[in-house]
Amino acid sequence: MAASISGYTFSSVCYHSANSNSDHEGFLLGEVRQEETVSISDTQISSAELLQVVEVHNHEPCAQLFSFYDYAGKVNDENLNRILKDRHKNVIGWYRFRRNTQQQMSFREQIIHKQLTQLLGVPDLVFLLFSFISTANNSTHALEYVLFRPNRSRYNQRVTLHIPNLGTTSQQEYKVSSVPNTSLNYAKVIKEHGAEFFDKDGVMKDIRTIFQVYGALQDRVQAVCGEVEQNERVKEKFQEEVNKLKQQIALRKQKSAEEERRLQEAQNPEQRPTPEENSEPLETSLLSRVVFHTPSTPERLGPSANPPSYADLLSLQDDSLLPSLSSPTSAALLPRPQAVGSPGHPSPSPLGLNPSPAPSPSMPYLGNGDGSSSDSLDRQAAGQEDDDEEEEEDDDDDSSEYENLVSEVAQLPPVTASVLAQGRPAALSPDGDASVLGSQTS
Amino acid sequence: MAVSAVHLESDAFLVCMNHALSTEKEEVMGLCIGEVTTDSFFACFGVDTNRIVHIHSVIILRRSDKRKDRVEISPEQLSSAATESYRLAEMTGRPMRVVGWYHSHPHITVWPSHVDVRTQAMYQMMDQGFVGLIFSCFIEDKNTKTGRVLYTCFQSVQAQKGSEYERIEIPIHVIPHEAIGKVCLESAVELPRILCQEEQDTYRKIHSLTQLDPITKIHNGSVFTKNLCSQMSAVSGPLLQWLEDRLEQNKQNIIELQLEKERLTQELATM
Repeated sequence: MAASISGYTFSSVCYHSANSNSDHEGFLLGEVRQEETVSISDTQISSAELLQVVEVHNHEPCAQLFSFYDYAGKVNDENLNRILKDRHKNVIGWYRFRRNTQQQMSFREQIIHKQLTQLLGVPDLVFLLFSFISTANNSTHALEYVLFRPNRSRYNQRVTLHIPNLGTTSQQEYKVSSVPNTSLNYAKVIKEHGAEFFDKDGVMKDIRTIFQVYGALQDRVQAVCGEVEQNERVKEKFQEEVNKLKQQIALRKQKSAEEERRLQEAQNPEQRPTPEENSEPLETSLLSRVVFHTPSTPERLGPSANPPSYADLLSLQDDSLLPSLSSPTSAALLPRPQAVGSPGHPSPSPLGLNPSPAPSPSMPYLGNGDGSSSDSLDRQAAGQEDDDEEEEEDDDDDSSEYENLVSEVAQLPPVTASVLAQGRPAALSPDGDASVLGSQTS
Repeated sequence: MAVSAVHLESDAFLVCMNHALSTEKEEVMGLCIGEVTTDSFFACFGVDTNRIVHIHSVIILRRSDKRKDRVEISPEQLSSAATESYRLAEMTGRPMRVVGWYHSHPHITVWPSHVDVRTQAMYQMMDQGFVGLIFSCFIEDKNTKTGRVLYTCFQSVQAQKGSEYERIEIPIHVIPHEAIGKVCLESAVELPRILCQEEQDTYRKIHSLTQLDPITKIHNGSVFTKNLCSQMSAVSGPLLQWLEDRLEQNKQNIIELQLEKERLTQELATM
């Protein structure tokens, strides 16, 4: 079996994956062809081999995890149809992107795959697994991808995924000189009959024609690009409005919760209120955004004195979506989970593949060596479901609690980063900062 | 002051990936446009200020020298990159400039070669905060059938002894950006145009040679046609397909967002 995916579709999957702070999944749409290769060998006159060629045309990203299956891994047919709509028949596979995990299908993925095979009626459904690892200092990142054919036998389950590209546009094919030839007949014949190819200006007709084709194509590309650009802006605007509404709702909920608490305090004066928001489990990530957007909550923040560059940084992030709360500065402050070496890989350092003239550093990847992800650091990482796969194999029920924990922890760093931003320089006491810094660098 | 981190917006990352995956036979390159912010928070506590390079968009460049191991930018391209930065600055209302460069390493390790490190050092002479990005692609581990795409960020420093340079690693993070910016989209669709331009320039040089017989001219003309066809089928076609798919996805998302907006408006009204 051979498989191919266009570079643009591949980049698009990487783009969607980069935008999500958790795992990302979706469906692969395309077609499967049978190609016959005829070979002649000494033993037979001709033998035809059927090669299945899987071509991925585009992908349908799922907006959230668990959108068509539940925690037990049971696929919901209705949701599946709702996501796929009429592209049902074009599905040839599905994909999943996860960070710091092994290049193997998890148990849940396997059972989902079996169900999808049945529900979609694609006997040779493929599964594309993307896994993302980084060096400890985050300077180098690797995206590894494997295409699985889980419905086949135990062997030959992995298929090479080819990305067709321009290949060589070498100009070496142009001839700078003609083959020397003194035959007058040759010169005469080619001049006479070769004139067909050229127009009155001496330019080859083919060139003009192909150039017209190219020009028309490029115009169309520009036109569609313009439409996409307008679309993106409309989408951005709607997303902003949705975000604002969510903020307002969260604010109202917060206010009513505060009022309730005040009522309770009034009733029970000996109970001490805990306005410190860091100790409360955050319900939604929006609360944290509300905190740094409304400096009118003085009990949490000192007088805001935003140095313009940092506030601009934060306002830059306003434009991005809610899930993008993995605030970069906090991510820079947080130690990233260490990279995972996969037991399936023959060489521990995937970067040592090609001999390079460059001074290569010593082993940049600091994994645990046995393929497991380092757990304590993982849990502090911003919203990453890395241990999900490991836990599933033991007990599916635990993963839901873990995900809640992870999502809560994920919201802490942006809050503290924003609190730092708002509170500097005068508001926060050095001790408060030290403890915050301490917790982040642990 | 060294750069402490690079923040690459995900739509700029998308364009870089598109560009890097466009060809496996030679290195491609481009310039990164953005701004540098200094986080002076830590200065209160006596820690060096953090310089963070934000890359908002990239410009695809034409390679003046197509040799496999060399990447150099001509002064004209640098100046047109500066023009692009002014445009981006006007659009976003923030000061934008060329803050770095990127190039691809197809089939090669992601680490910069000696030439790359030297080139980076040269750029750093004009701008200390200039950063270099490398995208390594078309790597495959035949045993596990695992494909890999890697990216790294680096700067150059003078080595301890001797006048050679060595690289230092700079942390790089891809910042989520759900909608693709206008400048990034425009950069992405520049690629077919740039490829065609390169092909035209080469052909013009060949065409101006006078001592070619008709057969050779026909041959060269066909090579041009072939190359242009190859560009259209390998780049323009898939690009158009991706744009159309994105259009569809966006239309769908907009409908869903509209519904959600109505739902939330109602919920807010009842509170």
